[in-house]
Amino acid sequence: MPISVVVLVKPVVDPKAVVKFRPDGTIDRSAVKLVVNPYDKYAIEAAVQLKEKLGGRVVGVAMAPPHAADSLREALAMGVDEFILLSDPKLAGSDTLATSYALSAVVRKVWQKLGGLDLVLCGIESSDSNTGHIGPEVGEWLDIPSVSYVDSILEVRDGAALVKRLIEGGYALMKVKLPAVLSVAGTSYQPRIPTLREVLAARRKQITVWSTADVGIDPSLVGLAGSPTRVVRMWRVEIKRRGKIFSDSDVDKVLEKFFEELRRDGVSLGA
Amino acid sequence: MVSRKILVYVETSESGPADYSLELVGKARELAAKADMSVGAIVVGYGVSDIAREVIYRGAEEVHVVDDRRLATYSLIPYTTAVAEVIRKVEPEIVLFSATVSGRELAPRVAARLRTGITADCTDVDIGDWVDPATGRRYERILYQIRPTFGGEIMAAIVTPNHRPQMATVRPGLFSVPPRDTSRSGRVFEWNVEVPSDELEKVEVLEVRRERRKVDLKSARVIVSGGRGCGLKGFELVRELAKVLGGEVGASRAAVDSGWIPYDHQVGLTGQTVKPEVYVAIGISGAIQHVVGMKDSKIVIAINKDPDAPIFRIADYGIVGDLFVVLPKIIERLKRR
Ligand SMILES: Cc1cc2nc3c(=O)[nH]c(=O)nc-3n(C[C@H](O)[C@H](O)[C@H](O)COP(=O)(O)OP(=O)(O)OC[C@H]3O[C@@H](n4cnc5c(N)ncnc54)[C@H](O)[C@@H]3O)c2cc1C
Ligand SMILES: Nc1ncnc2c1ncn2[C@@H]1O[C@H](COP(=O)(O)O)[C@@H](O)[C@H]1O
Repeated sequence: MPISVVVLVKPVVDPKAVVKFRPDGTIDRSAVKLVVNPYDKYAIEAAVQLKEKLGGRVVGVAMAPPHAADSLREALAMGVDEFILLSDPKLAGSDTLATSYALSAVVRKVWQKLGGLDLVLCGIESSDSNTGHIGPEVGEWLDIPSVSYVDSILEVRDGAALVKRLIEGGYALMKVKLPAVLSVAGTSYQPRIPTLREVLAARRKQITVWSTADVGIDPSLVGLAGSPTRVVRMWRVEIKRRGKIFSDSDVDKVLEKFFEELRRDGVSLGA
Repeated sequence: MVSRKILVYVETSESGPADYSLELVGKARELAAKADMSVGAIVVGYGVSDIAREVIYRGAEEVHVVDDRRLATYSLIPYTTAVAEVIRKVEPEIVLFSATVSGRELAPRVAARLRTGITADCTDVDIGDWVDPATGRRYERILYQIRPTFGGEIMAAIVTPNHRPQMATVRPGLFSVPPRDTSRSGRVFEWNVEVPSDELEKVEVLEVRRERRKVDLKSARVIVSGGRGCGLKGFELVRELAKVLGGEVGASRAAVDSGWIPYDHQVGLTGQTVKPEVYVAIGISGAIQHVVGMKDSKIVIAINKDPDAPIFRIADYGIVGDLFVVLPKIIERLKRR
């Protein structure tokens, strides 16, 4: 049975870049290049593996400014068939409730277009907001089950998925009726590196930009107006660590310096 | 006047309420004192009346219980229904959850059902006033939700001015568990929540594989932890160093999953939260899920062959090198002391 999968992919500022503030204390996202949220690559890998096994279609969905389209090529090269990019100035300032509402509206429309839907896969969290909220919240808006921290999807059959979920101290094996939202943790999937051919082929894949009106999104439920939370203030974390890192090809020298610093700082190692 | 309430969602196991939930009850009391509110708890499960009493001994003034055989084990969708229904009936100002594996999926799902805001992974919560710069409107004694974002590089203070309840998940291990006082009394409210049977059938837990914890790392003054970089062989060195230093052995989840050491020793989001005087991370990359469990250690020492490993960013002292070369030399030096 071929399957229909939506994978939610968030374009984020490159986590390796240093976060820049504007003078008014808000974060400057304009200057930096956007990349695929690293955590979402596991979800993409899981989706593509399912498609390779069962046949079917993987549709990527992202909500971001129009210039994010470039970053989605990487996901397309990994095997996502097409992307819907929801872009609209009305979405600016959306918190997780508003974002999950908007994304669920897009998923619903893709669901109709495909004539059915088995899975919505997402990452466990985004590298910039780190909430992990979107998966469970999208599940709630769509009124379908969600499972967070999925280690692996073992089987999809007869309208249900068999999944292994990470829990405190081990794993839970569970059977989930489809359609369902699964947040995929990075524990069992190794995201593939696309070949040159796949990278070239990705250039011809479709990225369709939708506005909120195209999807029938209620403007009062998105953006600042639709967001119950407000960010009052942001500040850089002061790392209070000493950061004395020793590196030398001569290990004995390194240890000499290391122990000497400990002595100087009055740090005793023993209990 | 109806008293305004803070509710804490209490996670349970066979041995009673979770320590991290009780911590939150203690914290909620502190907030309640500032804001003239009362503190209650929500407990969902089967046969949980002892647990309700225990939560009262720890400081809750009232406990809202959904006691149902079909809710004996945690399952996201029916638990969402139970918790959301209690919140609808009790109408609290604030609801706090622990940022655990289940709390981090249950809380947002409940928030979405109630169409309210939620802040994840708070490292602190406080009560304060806020003036909306856009409207000039003043909000008194609302919840400040303080959390790391951008992978921990930036902190943000967040409020939920107009929606109720104000909701947050709070990282476990930040506050102390309040003392047990059996002279305390409080009220227990039993709620009958209609849980549709199709909600129970949507997700079926077939099997749970879990190791029970026997080692308590919380009180250790020195912890020497090993990760994926160690391998079974490297763990012998990790154990030896721990012994020489008179400390306990810790581990990353990768090391536990590889079977080199039992789960008891795991530090992190799904392991223990520790705050020793000295934490030595060996062959551990410093993934956020590990770091949340050890970042409040007084001194962090990292040994890793990759100079770019994130663990070095939060280390006081770091040695870039191969643990199989470095550790024997360190152990030898310490033994000579
Ligand atoms: C829901 C969830 C919960 C989780 N909970 C936890 C948790 O509680 N605790 C936890 O730890 N993780 C947890 N994780 C996993 C976490 O994301 C990381 O995968 C894990 O911490 C990585 O462990 P590691 O650092 O040992 O391995 P790796 O990330 O593989 O790092 C190994 C390190 O060893 C170094 N190395 C290799 N060989 C040598 C050598 N010879 N000498 C020196 N250095 C060497 C490498 O440079 C590398 O930095 C969780 C993940 C999820 C999704
Ligand atoms: N703007 C977005 N567009 C597409 N997917 C998103 C977006 N925001 C979050 N997600 C998905 O939701 C997951 C959790 O993100 P978060 O709740 O922000 O930590 C991510 O890993 C993505 O899969």
